[in-house]
Amino acid sequence: MAGAIIENMSTKKLVIVGVTLLIFQVLSFLVGGLIAPSPTSAVHYLATKCVDNRKHHQRTKWFMPWGPNQCDKIRDFDEAMGKMIEANDIVFAVHVPLPNKEMSPWFQFMLLILQFDIAFRLVNQIETGAVVTIDVGLAYRDDTLSEWTEMAHSTEQRRLSCNFSTPKTPENEGRHYECDLLPFMEVGSVAHKYYLINIRLPVNERKKINVGIGEIKDIRLVGIHQNGGFTKVWFAMKTFLTPSILIIMIWYWRRITLMTRPPVLLENFALGISMTFINIPVEWFSVGFNWTWMLLFGDIRQGVFYAMLLSFWIIFCGEHLMDQTERNRFSVYWKQVVPIVFGSFCLFIFDMCERGVQLKNPFYSIWASDVGTELGEPKMAFIIVAGICACLYFLFLCFMVFQVFRNISGKQSSLPAMSKARRLHYEGLIFRFKFLMLVTLACAAMTVIFFIISQVNEGHWHWGDYTVQVNSAFFTGIYGMWNLYVFTIMFLYAPSHKRYGDEQSNGDLGVNSGEDIQLTTTITHVDGPTEIYKMAGKEAQE
Amino acid sequence: RMFLHLDLYYYIFILMAHMKTCCSWSVNNFLMTGPKAYLIYSSSVAAGAQSGIEECKYQFAWDRWNCPERALQLSTHSGLRSANRETAFVHAISSAGVMYTLTRNCSLGDFDNCGCDDTRNGQLGGQGWLWGGCSDNVGFGEAISKQFVDALETGQDARAAMNLHNNEAGRKAVKGTMKRTCKCHGVSGSCTTQTCWLQLPEFREVGNYLKEKYHKGLKVDLLKGAGNSAASRGAIAETFSSISKKELVHLEDSPDYCLENRTLGLPGTEGRECLRKGKGLSKWEKRSCKRLCGQCGLAVEEREAETVSSCNCKFHWCCAVRCEQCRKTVTKYFCVKRERRGRNESAGRRKGARPGKKH
Repeated sequence: MAGAIIENMSTKKLVIVGVTLLIFQVLSFLVGGLIAPSPTSAVHYLATKCVDNRKHHQRTKWFMPWGPNQCDKIRDFDEAMGKMIEANDIVFAVHVPLPNKEMSPWFQFMLLILQFDIAFRLVNQIETGAVVTIDVGLAYRDDTLSEWTEMAHSTEQRRLSCNFSTPKTPENEGRHYECDLLPFMEVGSVAHKYYLINIRLPVNERKKINVGIGEIKDIRLVGIHQNGGFTKVWFAMKTFLTPSILIIMIWYWRRITLMTRPPVLLENFALGISMTFINIPVEWFSVGFNWTWMLLFGDIRQGVFYAMLLSFWIIFCGEHLMDQTERNRFSVYWKQVVPIVFGSFCLFIFDMCERGVQLKNPFYSIWASDVGTELGEPKMAFIIVAGICACLYFLFLCFMVFQVFRNISGKQSSLPAMSKARRLHYEGLIFRFKFLMLVTLACAAMTVIFFIISQVNEGHWHWGDYTVQVNSAFFTGIYGMWNLYVFTIMFLYAPSHKRYGDEQSNGDLGVNSGEDIQLTTTITHVDGPTEIYKMAGKEAQE
Repeated sequence: RMFLHLDLYYYIFILMAHMKTCCSWSVNNFLMTGPKAYLIYSSSVAAGAQSGIEECKYQFAWDRWNCPERALQLSTHSGLRSANRETAFVHAISSAGVMYTLTRNCSLGDFDNCGCDDTRNGQLGGQGWLWGGCSDNVGFGEAISKQFVDALETGQDARAAMNLHNNEAGRKAVKGTMKRTCKCHGVSGSCTTQTCWLQLPEFREVGNYLKEKYHKGLKVDLLKGAGNSAASRGAIAETFSSISKKELVHLEDSPDYCLENRTLGLPGTEGRECLRKGKGLSKWEKRSCKRLCGQCGLAVEEREAETVSSCNCKFHWCCAVRCEQCRKTVTKYFCVKRERRGRNESAGRRKGARPGKKH
C-alpha cells in the first residue's frame, strides 16, 4: 500500500514545512494584532425625548434628535409634567450614527441594545414580570437632505428584569434600577449612511399596556458594529487563503486519481471543500449590494465547516481503528455522523428562527419573545437538543480515540512478529494517527486558550507605542490556524509517490526486530517516526 | 430655580477664565480652537458643575458642613481660597460633574466631534471612524472637562496644585465607577464574538465614591514657607506626583463648622434640620442630630409639621400621575440654641469629641 507523504518525507523537508507553517501562523496572528483594529466597536446613544405635538399621530412623521429640522425636545420629564405632555406624546429619537459620521457597508452588521434608566419611587415601583411594549420605527436615508424612508416598523415586547440593590427607602428615591440589557435590533447589512430610530412607549391602562413599569428616565441604546478596518483585513485574509486551499485541494485530487485504488472516503477532500466554502470571500458583495441575508449565510457556512470538521475527526479515527473490518464506506459511520448532522440541523433551525426572522423584522429577538412562553421554549429546545448531540458526539469521539489507543498498544506488542510489509502498514497507521492527534489537540488547545484570553482581557494590550488588538489577533490567528490545519492535513496525508516493496526478503529479521521495537516506542517523538521510515525506506530500496 | 445664581456665577467665571487664558497661553493643543468652540460646551459645563454641587448637597445633607452655595464661589475667588478637605471635595465633584455631563450629552448627539478624536484610532487620517470606530465618549468628556475646569486654576502655588489634583481625582472617580458591560453576538447568540464597553454609572455613585475618598483625604503640609520660587514649585510638583491621582488632597485643617464665621462665610449649624428616627436610615444619618446639634453645643428641638403629599397615585411611566392628596403630621428635628446654663459644659465636651485629623 502506498504511504502518505508524511511517512515518506525526510526530516529536513518536514522541518522546512513545519517552519513555513509556523511563520504563516505567526503572520496571521500579527495581521490581526497589529494591523487590524478591534473587531467591533460599541457606540453609546442616549435617546432624545421629542414631543409629538400633533393631534392625531400619523406614522409618517419622523423625529430627528439634532441637526436641522430637529424635533421639539424636552430635557426631562419634570418639564413634561409642567407642559401637560402625556406619555403617548413622547417619542424617543436616536440617530445612528452620531453627528458628523456616517455608516458604511464595511460595518457588515449593526445591532442595537436597549437599556432603560428607571428611577426608583416608593409608590411607583416596577411590578414583577413587567413587560414593556415598544412601538418602534426604523428609517434610513443616504444624504442629509433627503426624506427618511421607512425600513421597518413593529410593536415589540421586552421583559424588564431589573433589581434595586440599595434599600428601598425614601432616601433612595430617584436612584436607578439596575436592568439587564435588552436585545433591540439587528440588521445584517449596513447599506445606508444614516439611520433613525423612533421609539414610543404607548400607555393603555385598559389593556394593561406599559403599566407598572416604573418611572422611566431615559432610554439608552448601544450600537455595535464590526469595524471597517477589521472587515477589510478579514476580507483580505479570506481572499488570500481561498486560492491556497483551492490549489492544495486540486493537487490532492490529482494525487488521488493517479493512484490505482479508489480514494479513501474522500475524508480530506471533503474537509478541503468545506474550508474553501467558508473561505470564498463572497462578503465582498455585501459592500456593493444590500444583502441582508449575508449574516445568516455566514452562520450557515460556519456551521457546515464545523459539521465537516467534526465528521472528519470521527471518520479519521475510524480509519485508524485497525480492527480489520472494511470501513471505507460512509454508512459505517452513521451512528456517529447522525448526531453531528442532527445537532447542526437543530442549530440551523434555531439560527433561522432568529436571524431568518430578522430579515423581515429587525427588532425580532428570540431571547425577548419568551414573554408569552409559547414561542420561546420550543426554540430553546433546539439549543438543548444541539447540546445533547454535542455531548453524544464527544462521547463517541472519546470512545473511538480510546479504542484506537488500545488497539495501538495491542498492535505494538505484536509488531516484531509480523512480516515487514504488515509491520510497516501498521506503523504507518499508528504514526499517522498519532501525528494527527497531536496536531488536532494542539489546534484545539490553542483555540480554547486564545478564546479564554480574548474573553478575559480588555481587548487590547499596550506594548510601548504599539497597541496589540488581542481580540482581532484571536480571530485572524485562529482562522489562519484552521486553514493551515486543513492545508497541512491535505498535504501530508496525500498519497505519496514513493512505494514500499512488498515482496522483499527479510532474512535478517531477527537481528533487526529488536532495533525496530526500540524505535517504535519512541514513535510519539516528533523526529522519531521519520527516522524509522527513512530507515525502513532505505531498507526497502536495498 | 434654586441654584440659578450659582449656575450663572460659575458659567460666567469659566468663560472669563477662558478669555484670560486663551490669550496668554495656548490651549489650542486640544481638540478645538477659538472661543466659539467653547460656547458649544459651556452650557454643558455649567450644567455639569451644577449637578456636581447638587450631588455635593445631597452627600453632605447630614454633615456639619452642608455644601453651601458659597463653597464654590469662594473656591474660584482668587482672594479667599481655602484649601481644606471640603474644598477638595467641591473641586472633585464639580469636575466630575462636568465630565459626566459632557459624556452624557455627547451620547445625545449634542457635539459634532465627540468621541472621534482620531488620536487613538487615527491610523488612516480622518477615516478613524470607518477604520476602527471612535474612542469612548468618556475620553472626550474627560478632555473637555480638563480643559475647562483646570483652566480656572491660573496660579502655580500649592493651592493651585491641590485644586488641579482634586479636579483630576474627580475625573478619575467617574472613570473608576464606570461599569464594564458585555454583549455576546456570535453564531446563534454564542459568545464567540462579544463586545464590551464601559458604561456611565448614575452620578450618585460617583458622589458616593468621592464621599469615601473625602473621608480618606490626605493632608499635605506645603503651606509653610511656600514661596513662588522655582525650588518650592519643584517641591510641590514632586509632592503631588507622589500621591495617587485617585486620592483627594487638602492642605489645611477644616474650620469649626459648628460656629457661624462671617469672614469665612460659614453659616454654622444653628437652625439646621437633622434626622433621628426612621426606617432604613444609615448610621451616619441616625447620628446626625448628635453631630449637628449635640456636639456643637446646640439643643435638638422637635417640631411637628403637617405636610400635604400625594398618595395612592396611579402612575404612567412618565408625566401623567393621578393622585389623592394626603395630609400627614411628621416630626422634624432642628438644632436650636441651648439655654444659657448648659452651654459651657457642652462646649467642653465638644472639644473632646472632635475627631483627630490625619497628618
